[in-house]
Amino acid sequence: MLIEGKFTLQAPIQEVWDLLFEIDTLAACIPGAEKIEPIDDRTYDAIVKQKVGPITVRFKFITTLTEIDPPRHVTAEGRGEDIGKAGTFTQKTSVDLTEISEDSVEISYSSNVSLVGRLATFGERIMRAKAKQVGEEITKNLQERLKSRIAS
Amino acid sequence: MIRDFEYFSPKTLKEALTLLDKYQDECKVIAGGQSLLILMRQRLVMPEYLIDIKGISELNYIKSDAKEGLRIGALTTHRAIEKSPAMKNGFSVLAEMEHRLASIQTRNWGTIGGNICHADPTGDPAPVLIALNATLSTASLKGKRNMALEDFCLDYFETALEPGELLTEIQVPAVPPHTGTAYAKFNIIESDMATVGVAVSITLGSGDGMCKDIRIVLGACASTPMRAKQAEEVLRGRKITDNLFKEAGQIASQEAEPISDISASEEYRRELVKVLVARVGKEALARANQA
Repeated sequence: MLIEGKFTLQAPIQEVWDLLFEIDTLAACIPGAEKIEPIDDRTYDAIVKQKVGPITVRFKFITTLTEIDPPRHVTAEGRGEDIGKAGTFTQKTSVDLTEISEDSVEISYSSNVSLVGRLATFGERIMRAKAKQVGEEITKNLQERLKSRIAS
Repeated sequence: MIRDFEYFSPKTLKEALTLLDKYQDECKVIAGGQSLLILMRQRLVMPEYLIDIKGISELNYIKSDAKEGLRIGALTTHRAIEKSPAMKNGFSVLAEMEHRLASIQTRNWGTIGGNICHADPTGDPAPVLIALNATLSTASLKGKRNMALEDFCLDYFETALEPGELLTEIQVPAVPPHTGTAYAKFNIIESDMATVGVAVSITLGSGDGMCKDIRIVLGACASTPMRAKQAEEVLRGRKITDNLFKEAGQIASQEAEPISDISASEEYRRELVKVLVARVGKEALARANQA
């Protein structure tokens, strides 16, 4: 499934770029992120927990940054699985930063997620709706982080 | 395959609540199992303790009073509601909704309480009950709570039910005079869940074609059943015309928050909302005129 979106941040493009690479900040912005650890300078190991009603999943996944073009573009690819064996997924995500002005940046992201397993057969529509919600929460958290960073 | 669990079959509400209080998050409640068994068979939900409440006869009833309206026990099956003589006049929309809910087999086992507590946003009962201003009661060892059904559904598959709590009853107030309620859902296969569902209830001011009150509730358009309040404002307090229904449909389709999935795209769902709100609104008006 394709998850896309865009939003604008009032900050210089370099600041936004730097923020995206701060692992601790990213971890704090992703709801349910239990850990994000760098394995090398392009690869990260992560565990994210998500709950939809009575169903809880803990995804363990590896993400590799395949294209890094500072400060405008990054592509990430990865695969992961639910620790409870309810499903596995692969993803390819691209994030583009476009400078609107000296102090404002548009961030657009496009994530192609392929989900296989019980979560996919039963949960396709739930996952899709939840993914949209999670995407919105991440962007909201990122925006708040940047706002408080710029304010201070 | 379903993972092994310890099984309890309480016969009274008190017994059930005691078990729930003891096992808290480690147990799941099962009634008709029409929603839970699907999850358990897929091993998406694997409770250690299963509390089967189907045998609690004190929660299985339909009571009807001319002034108070309906009181439906949480363990009443969909089929019982569908066939109940109490579902007449202003409540006939409940029997109609139940008639199109899933299949007879599911309706014979599934309960209204289980359906509401499962909180699937595509569910048929919730939009209709919300259009009818339904309230509900819950019980736990700590006591009872009452709330509007509209406030009970919080998110995908999440309700305001607290650990140790059971839904016990749904109340549907007596229908005010000159009120008509209708429901329609679009699906591709008969007996399938709603791609989009719309319930509308209209109350007319006496004899002048003025819309005294209106409730428009959308199903399968958001993470919970959704009141299309902006669309309601188009009609509330005004003399009803076909154009107003068209406008309400338009506004509701913008207000809705549907997603794209295997059944339909977001755009198609919005189009369905636009058409169904107008169509169901007109049906509700026709019923209000006859009431």
